[in-house]
Amino acid sequence: MFGSPPLARFAPLALLLIAGFALPQVLPQYFLFLGNILMMYAVLALGLDILLGWAGQFAFAHVAFFGIGTYTTALLQARLGVPFVIGMPLGAALAGLIGLVIGFPATRLRTVYLALATFAFAEAAQWVFNAWDKVTGGPDGLRISAPSVLGYATGSDPTAFPVMAAILALMIAATMYLTTSKLGRAMCAVRESEHVAAASGIDVNATKVAAFAISAIYAGVAGGMFTLFQSFVNPDVFSFGQIVLLLSMIVVGGLGSIPGVLIGVALLGLLPEIMRTTMRAFLVWQEFGYGVILVLVIMFMPRGIWGMIVARRGAP
Amino acid sequence: MKKLLLAAAMSAAIVANAQAADPGITDNEITIGLFAPMSGPLTSFGLDALQAAKMWYEEANKKGGIHGRKIKVITEDDKCSPNDVVAVVKKLVTVDKVFMVHGGSCTAAAVAAQEFVTREKVPHVMLNASGDNAVIPPTRYVFGAFGGTQRAVGATIAEFAVKELKGKRIALIAHDDDYGVANAATVKAVAKRLGAEVVAIESISPRITDVTAPMLNIRAANPDVIISTCYPAPAVLVAQKYAEFGMTKIPLAQAVQGIPVPAGFAKNVGNDAAFASFYYGSPLNDLTDGPKQQKWIAMYKQYYPDRTPSAFMTYGLPSAMAITRALEKAGRNLTRESFIDALETVDFDSEVVAGPIAFAKDRRDAHRASIFVKYDGKNGHTRMPGVYLWDGKEGM
Amino acid sequence: MSPLVLQGIASGVVTGCVYALIAISLVIVYKSSDVINFAGGEMVMLGGYIGMFALIGLGLPYLLIFPFAAVAIFAVGALFDRLVLTRTRHLALPGQSALVAMVIGTVGLSYVIKGAVRVVPYTEDVHRLPPISAGTPIFIGPVVLQQQDVAIVLAAIVIMVALWAFFSFTMAGKALRATSQNPRAASLVGIPVPLMSMTAWGLAAALAGVAGVLLAPKLLLTPDSGIIVILALAAAIIGGFTSLPGCVAGGILLGVVQNLIGVFVSSRAISLAPFLVIMLVLLVRPQGLFAGKATAKKV
Repeated sequence: MFGSPPLARFAPLALLLIAGFALPQVLPQYFLFLGNILMMYAVLALGLDILLGWAGQFAFAHVAFFGIGTYTTALLQARLGVPFVIGMPLGAALAGLIGLVIGFPATRLRTVYLALATFAFAEAAQWVFNAWDKVTGGPDGLRISAPSVLGYATGSDPTAFPVMAAILALMIAATMYLTTSKLGRAMCAVRESEHVAAASGIDVNATKVAAFAISAIYAGVAGGMFTLFQSFVNPDVFSFGQIVLLLSMIVVGGLGSIPGVLIGVALLGLLPEIMRTTMRAFLVWQEFGYGVILVLVIMFMPRGIWGMIVARRGAP
Repeated sequence: MKKLLLAAAMSAAIVANAQAADPGITDNEITIGLFAPMSGPLTSFGLDALQAAKMWYEEANKKGGIHGRKIKVITEDDKCSPNDVVAVVKKLVTVDKVFMVHGGSCTAAAVAAQEFVTREKVPHVMLNASGDNAVIPPTRYVFGAFGGTQRAVGATIAEFAVKELKGKRIALIAHDDDYGVANAATVKAVAKRLGAEVVAIESISPRITDVTAPMLNIRAANPDVIISTCYPAPAVLVAQKYAEFGMTKIPLAQAVQGIPVPAGFAKNVGNDAAFASFYYGSPLNDLTDGPKQQKWIAMYKQYYPDRTPSAFMTYGLPSAMAITRALEKAGRNLTRESFIDALETVDFDSEVVAGPIAFAKDRRDAHRASIFVKYDGKNGHTRMPGVYLWDGKEGM
Repeated sequence: MSPLVLQGIASGVVTGCVYALIAISLVIVYKSSDVINFAGGEMVMLGGYIGMFALIGLGLPYLLIFPFAAVAIFAVGALFDRLVLTRTRHLALPGQSALVAMVIGTVGLSYVIKGAVRVVPYTEDVHRLPPISAGTPIFIGPVVLQQQDVAIVLAAIVIMVALWAFFSFTMAGKALRATSQNPRAASLVGIPVPLMSMTAWGLAAALAGVAGVLLAPKLLLTPDSGIIVILALAAAIIGGFTSLPGCVAGGILLGVVQNLIGVFVSSRAISLAPFLVIMLVLLVRPQGLFAGKATAKKV
């Protein structure tokens, strides 16, 4: 389970890249748009899973880092003409830096206090996005001009799609390396028991802070991805509801596993679209239906769908 | 030989292009993608307006359609969320291949879709959204503000406050979202022009549950008119505290978005004292259930007997009217571009809203007028004289 | 002190009691099952609507709508614990992932309640439950309070005293406390732990329902009224998330601070206030203002 991932594990990533270039030739923009949304959520969810599923830290600040990444990349492009290949890493780095800073005090807190302190941070960040209108445009939002990646112009769903797929493939590969690395092992140990981990010589605090910073970087990358295919951003995007959606995705899919997270993203990301098209006569029941599905999943598959598949296969 | 082949190829291309019609048009049908919040918290804003628009299209179809083509409608639910609007518009355009999209009851959502419709050159006519940032500055493909922009709301209510209520010291309580920002901009500009002073601007969250502090601040600023552009729940709280804190000698003017059903509003406030000097604005040409609106309510009852329309139902009509007029004007040789050119020339009385519905080469906000009503909290609605107009430039 | 500040404080105390009542419900759930009940706000909202139905639809006398709503929401909470949470606890991996799953379960419950309420066309418009006593306001010096406000404060005090008595002096209350402190030991001495869990959830839910009936006259009802749970969470955190008096103190502190910020800083900053307070309190005193010393949770 640990050690470098075997080359075969990378095969699905190659498929992803091929799909990234092939699908825009055949699918209408609507489906490419859905695909772009899912890929962005996938990076967000992977980042959150590192913090929650691997390091066991129940923290809600993720969506604030997503916002920081989005606004930074968009503003660098719009105000200073910084190209995407520099702007996005800068946005991700800024998010990671703030994640690091938040990580230090946050790791002193336990469970519910950690959750609620980070939740307060996320709400405060959204307030700042709203109030700092000179920079972020405030409630009127910010128009995003089409970024170009190394001379290749994006800004629409078909043009952004391959780039999104490439970034997602990169982040999945990074996650695979991380989770099989020494740091990944340390995170698992901390999740299971901080005392035992400390006794085994792991620097618990450093591990937790690292998890914070890394997951914030993922969120910052997702923020950059946002600017590739969306033309407009406003603070409402970075709300508490978003974090709840992300949590639901990784719980439904399966905490602490890459396939689980991706399944969760695909399912809960597409569920609203599916409900919208199939429930035409019962649109008013959509919310109720969504809630029922969530409750049923945690009742019958509390380890997530992937957790159930793994259990069926005979793993303990 | 080469030249001949080249000429043949070019002619073929020209012929092919000329014959390639815009999507969504056949010999006997025009397909329109119609969307609004049909579920979720803002259903009362959008559902009935959407159904009213459908009703108008049906009426047009009954009369034989437009130049021999019937209007076919595909409806989608956007829940007033920017993400859903973008998804729905992209689906309607790239999967259902509609001729144009007609919809949107919320501004942020309209702005989110703007870049896509402009890039794809698809006409987008909003339903009842104010659409401020999507129509100002005007862009070719997006038309809106059939009930008035939030800038128009702010400008007209400020003008009413100064001219009719003789206000010299105006206090404004508005939200800290895009609507409130637009309201405040024009209130300030109009007050300045008319020589009144804005003594307080309280900017509150739409989710606020206690307006004690903002109302205390307003009281301390000693205004002689209070303007509120808050949404239904906070508007009630404002009116309650206005009465509780003994401010009822100062006239209170409430914008339309906070008082969809005046009787319900009064019941919620639950305090007669609040209505001693209470006024509300409306973009309609009459009270919501007044005589001029009755014919539309009766028509709606015929089409949808099981549903009592919300106060925003008739708001869906002016946009549908503008669309059918423009389709008529564009003639049988209909293209998206000719439709837009025709839409730019409409200027008519919708018999729904207070002022004319009009566009121009550089104008994309259809309606700029408001009426005002004095309301006594029971059954007494007294229409105040005049129709107030925003000039479309002030406060930008 | 200026009348402005006095009024701000008085109104803040009343609003604070509002937050406190909901916060108490959240803390009871947390102490019994370690779960943050994100459906707490929806339970309040449902209590308000059920109270409205009882008053206006069924014509019950006002005082009876309290127990009516309490019983109805008690059932919702107890059933949720019995049917959903017990299964999840049983099937999930122990530790964090079970907790996360259960919290997502409460999120699902919040959508279920909200969605079901929204189906009823009556809820499309904003409504207000008539207050328990609408009469002349009460003047204390320059400060004005509505009769409903006084009712809220009195109710908060009565409920707190009743709960304290329940938890300290009755067998059921002591059994609940024992279960929350150490479920294993409790079951060893014969306390039926699943029943205790169900009871705790039912009690917390009933409390939320009663809070809904008290608050609906002040806060107005829409299916989205549940959003107030965020402020209740803030109140609970300030109080330490472990003690019921802490909730009341935390709630009142939050209500007063919000108003003072509104008066002295700006109305726009009001919505930031609870989150700033949470972060400050947790930075300085991670266990909240009113809990004891910070203890490590059982490993």
